[in-house]
Amino acid sequence: MTSALLPRAARPMSTREGNRRLRIARAFSTILVLLIVAIQIYPLVWVVLASLKTPAEFAGGNPFALPREPTFDNFGRAWEMADLPRYIGNSFVVTVASNVFIVLLGMMAAYAIQVLRFRWSNAVMGLFVVGLVVPVQVALVPLFINYARVGLLDTYQAMIVPLVGFSLPISVYLFASFFQYVPHETYEAASLDGAGPYRVFFKITMPLSVNTIITVVFVNTIFIWNDFIFANTFVLSEQLRTIPLGLQNYMGAMGSVDWTATFAAVCVTVTPVLLAFLALNRAIIYGIEGGGSKG
Amino acid sequence: MLRHRSKTAVAVFLLPPLLTYVVAVLFPILQSLFLSFFRWDGITPMEFVGIDNYRRMLVGDDVFWRAAGHSLVYVAVALFFQLGVALFLANLLTYVRRGRETVKTLFLLPAIVSTVAIALLFQRVYSFEPVGLLNGALDAIGLDDLARPWLSELDTVLVSVSVPEGWRFTGLYMLILYAAIIAVPAELEEAARLDGASSWQVFRHIRFAYIRPVWLTTMIMATTYSLRGFDIPYLLTNGGPGQASELLTTYMYKTAFTSTDFGYASTIAVFIVVQCVVAVGAILVLRNRGDKTA
Repeated sequence: MTSALLPRAARPMSTREGNRRLRIARAFSTILVLLIVAIQIYPLVWVVLASLKTPAEFAGGNPFALPREPTFDNFGRAWEMADLPRYIGNSFVVTVASNVFIVLLGMMAAYAIQVLRFRWSNAVMGLFVVGLVVPVQVALVPLFINYARVGLLDTYQAMIVPLVGFSLPISVYLFASFFQYVPHETYEAASLDGAGPYRVFFKITMPLSVNTIITVVFVNTIFIWNDFIFANTFVLSEQLRTIPLGLQNYMGAMGSVDWTATFAAVCVTVTPVLLAFLALNRAIIYGIEGGGSKG
Repeated sequence: MLRHRSKTAVAVFLLPPLLTYVVAVLFPILQSLFLSFFRWDGITPMEFVGIDNYRRMLVGDDVFWRAAGHSLVYVAVALFFQLGVALFLANLLTYVRRGRETVKTLFLLPAIVSTVAIALLFQRVYSFEPVGLLNGALDAIGLDDLARPWLSELDTVLVSVSVPEGWRFTGLYMLILYAAIIAVPAELEEAARLDGASSWQVFRHIRFAYIRPVWLTTMIMATTYSLRGFDIPYLLTNGGPGQASELLTTYMYKTAFTSTDFGYASTIAVFIVVQCVVAVGAILVLRNRGDKTA
């Protein structure tokens, strides 16, 4: 597409006029962006503010006011009302275990498909890519039945298996895209030195993939740490509750909810992911921008 | 291709991931298809009923069709945010000089918050008594006539449960679109501007034309993700009041795990998969047609 297709203005703008217009556009855009960001983020700010207010102030006060006397009582009550450390611990177990499998299995599949190659490589890749659009709901009834049969209901594995399965497509896709860019000579050289496929995998492919591993882990950690549907379907006992299930305990049985304590609990449970996000912020944004524009 | 590869090596690397994928994803799809031809409550013996479940779903179940309609509204609201607002903002951001990185970070924040936390949050945003954030804000700007219990009125509940889904991923899609816009060659836009093109014309004929492939990827992601949206409506209203905010996913879940009608629930699940495949197909057809006319 060239500019010749555009209707020409009767008189080309002078540069000065153009600069002025650009400045106005910039100022206007900045104000609008700030406004939208404020609206977008305020609900989250509001949760933090509420967790620092007394219940009375939260119930009666102005939702846009800062806490008059910030208090940490809500966090104490949040701690007593439910077993927060247990939920966080369970979420850690599930997230770490799932990530180990997702990274390892994803890398292995991508290595077989992209580096070793075989007769059906493209077909197998296609099979994995299809998984990107498969809705998780389709697996709920079959897995529930199968778990009941083999006695896996109400275990960590019951959550980990589908979390890994449904994360594999994106993981295989990201690793395969990365392996495409590893120069062929790298493998040739190793091959000439007599390295077999296993040595190459551990000595060359793995160490080269650190950045992709970070992207894969982060994308999947958000999905796993926050998973509600698998946990809600396959976990029955209090001991195995992950954070999303645990937070539900704050919804009072009688419909009465201790909101400030609930929001304090929300703040606590978001913190680990938030810290990871802020620490890896640059790498993540870079990963999303790169991943999207390649699509 | 590696020189020393062997069939064994391929098998060693491929089988564990493939097996996991088959057990967790592919086999359950086939199993759902199988179950959709049976009537089964999980306890008594399974009973083969042929296409009865499909007939019931397509011609005998009003709730199913209402839920299907609601799911489309849900997708439309989500796309309004994730494609519309996201594109608008990505564009605006290119005119902003300082603080772009901060805006990006802030905008991504809702994406890391769990759906349960979001549901708790929005329950209070929409609440009427005590006055929630939305009604409080309307009051503050003098629109208190509009204040209402958003989640218990039949007219507002569906859109109200859809907004949080759109809201939480707006930043994610904004980032993807922003990256695409930034990659548009500056000379193209410069040339158009010198020819006297307005900002709108620059956007329409240059930027948007250039980012079309990314736009379509975003569309596929946003559409399939919101078609499977479940958590927020399930937690906020559980499909109510009545079935005014019932989606196909919540309906399927309740059919399976509240009514323990595994056969019929599987039929609905099969429909949800078909729906996703059709949506992706339609978007791809759209792309091919666009390529021909462009």
